[in-house]
Amino acid sequence: MACIRRGLLGGVIAIALPAVQVAAEDLGKQIFLEGSGDMPACAVCHMLSDAGSEGEIGPNLDKLMPDEARVRIAVHDGVGVMPAFGEALTEAQIDAVARYVASVAGQ
Amino acid sequence: MDKMTIPRRHFLVGAAGTVCTGAVVGSGAGSALAQDTALPDYVAWKEPGAFIQHSENTLETLRGEIGSVVTPNDLLFVRNNLPSLTEDDVGDPEAWTVSVEGVSDPREITLAELKGLDVAQVASVLQCSGNGRGFFEHETSGSQWLTGAAGNVIWTGVPVASLVEALGGVADGVQWMTGTGGESIPDGIDPLSVMVERSVPIAAHEQALLAWNLNGEPLPLAHGGPLRLVVPGYYGVNNVKHVKRLAFTEAETQAKIQQSGYRIRDVGVEGAPDQPSMFEMNVKSWVTQPLMDASSGRVLVMGVALGGTEELATVEVSTDSGATWSEARFTGPDLGPYAWRSFVIATDLEPGTYRIASRATTVGGASQPEDFPPNHRGYGHNGWSAHAVDVTVS
Repeated sequence: MACIRRGLLGGVIAIALPAVQVAAEDLGKQIFLEGSGDMPACAVCHMLSDAGSEGEIGPNLDKLMPDEARVRIAVHDGVGVMPAFGEALTEAQIDAVARYVASVAGQ
Repeated sequence: MDKMTIPRRHFLVGAAGTVCTGAVVGSGAGSALAQDTALPDYVAWKEPGAFIQHSENTLETLRGEIGSVVTPNDLLFVRNNLPSLTEDDVGDPEAWTVSVEGVSDPREITLAELKGLDVAQVASVLQCSGNGRGFFEHETSGSQWLTGAAGNVIWTGVPVASLVEALGGVADGVQWMTGTGGESIPDGIDPLSVMVERSVPIAAHEQALLAWNLNGEPLPLAHGGPLRLVVPGYYGVNNVKHVKRLAFTEAETQAKIQQSGYRIRDVGVEGAPDQPSMFEMNVKSWVTQPLMDASSGRVLVMGVALGGTEELATVEVSTDSGATWSEARFTGPDLGPYAWRSFVIATDLEPGTYRIASRATTVGGASQPEDFPPNHRGYGHNGWSAHAVDVTVS
């Protein structure tokens, strides 16, 4: 039974994965451009060509080219004057914006 | 001598003037730009090849580049919380104004006027709160500084105490001295969330300067020119660059950089105003030579040591990972309690592998611990063990 369940779930995931990935990328870009709740848009402070942002307060992400882990911990804990957004965003939102920035920075 | 197990990140210590790992330094959470990446335009005047670039606004001086008592401007690390102002932003430096508030005669005063008011020179260590962050075992946000977010420099400026006296003294009830940077904040964000505005206990104003000169040169914009609040003995963040406002206040600023930023707390805990702030620096030292290899026989072990706000009493050196210690000799002049001192000890080493450590103690008895307890953001590391270097003698 368990195998059938896994098989069924696997099938569902296999079909749905592309849509989920697209949605996650969209979410990450959306947060970057619009912010969420108490968190302002990343674009206000950061330059990222994929997002068309020209913020100059924080590092130019196209030059910094951070990996996912670096973005995730920076968003969660803050860096210097960059506030911590660990309470303003859900883990899923932080993951989404981290994946998005890491995948497009420098391109 | 037994081979030592190299702890995590010891391989990042680097040889004299090089970074062992080449392009990448630090963990995934703190990767650095390639060392050979050209310096950003605003610091293009600095020594090429002398820095690890963690980002455009964070340049770490390589461990082997630190040697003299005074750190030359072109070797001094850079950590700018906000982008440095440009010459266009500043205009005529002499016409730069700072608004002095919380005194009997509050007013704006120009740099030219300040230069005519009084002058003093102070040698002090400028050190980022996160210097040594890369030695912590836990994952931390921010540049993975090792030893090079520090330098010892000579500031020239007007004593804040003289300025206060000239303006009639501070108001009753003042508890804090608050400096505000002149960087502009873009629309769309709450200024308090990113502005550089720091408050320090009012007592610190007695040693503070408004400085316009760094090591005998006009204060470069990259280091906060044309005017910077300098609080000797305090971590770098309190030394507000491009200072536009100096206020004597009853309460500390509501800026996030003060309220929740730069606070010491346990790993996993959010920043809050009731936690210790990164104010006074602690006692610390590190070896700068040798860093990786040496020839057997007479080996001079050199380094630098600071007491934070106290003068140093001793620096000891161990070549056996702390099992035994010998007192080193200070090599340079004593530039006061806020400056660092260079030290040396002559050793006689046979071929083998040595873990070389240094341990400083102040006249007040404060001494470096073997290990420094982890804190969430990786501030204030002064543990002698993590700062030790593994040297192969052949």
